[in-house]
Amino acid sequence: MRTALAGIAAFAAAYLISGTLQLPVPVYDPLSRELFFARAVSGVAMRYPGDLALASAAGIAAAALARLLPPQGGLGVAAAGALSLVALDVLFYLSRLLASL
Amino acid sequence: MSDRALLIWHAVLGFTALFAATHHAVHAVLAALGRAQDRALRRLGWIAPAAVLLEAACGLAIYPAYRVQVRAADFDLNAPVLAQLFDFKEHLAALALPLVIGAALAGRRNEEPRWPLAAVSCTGAAFLWTAAVIGLYVTARHPL
Repeated sequence: MRTALAGIAAFAAAYLISGTLQLPVPVYDPLSRELFFARAVSGVAMRYPGDLALASAAGIAAAALARLLPPQGGLGVAAAGALSLVALDVLFYLSRLLASL
Repeated sequence: MSDRALLIWHAVLGFTALFAATHHAVHAVLAALGRAQDRALRRLGWIAPAAVLLEAACGLAIYPAYRVQVRAADFDLNAPVLAQLFDFKEHLAALALPLVIGAALAGRRNEEPRWPLAAVSCTGAAFLWTAAVIGLYVTARHPL
């Protein structure tokens, strides 16, 4: 469970940071059918798969690290921490949705 | 495979993932309440991640078609709120991935206390339900 929680926490943190700080990620332009690294996108170019790949890599790396390290703290604290990070992501994206109304 | 065929596969796999994750959440809650659910949690421990990963792969495959044929051609011009709503659905689906996969893999082990597993599994299932409802609404407004 600790391994899973570490992965979830890292995924949520990386997903939020990647999107808000516009980190360079693989971007795909479906019109020109080109794949390139970029920070900002325009037109129909999409960075969602790149953000997803970056967050997945962070989650897998954190889970692998948590497997190697000795357990620290209670499982309840780890679960609350991981779910709080997920809630932060949801609140951020919900605020963007509500701002567009 | 055409975009419409991929959309239908996306829906079928989406409901498979939704029901697998919901089943897992129910069994995780029952396990947290002290009922023996090890067999069900082990069985869903591979069904839920497999369904969610296949559904995500299918969704990513039709995403370029959505961007061009639906978002750029309609939503960005006529209904920008729907574009934002779809973005929110995509973020929920992305966050559901580690929750469902993490809970499913962790549920294969009989580890105490059980309530963190139930909390993670229920959150993942709730995200998938919300994403499914938004996805159906947006598709009803403008299918591929």
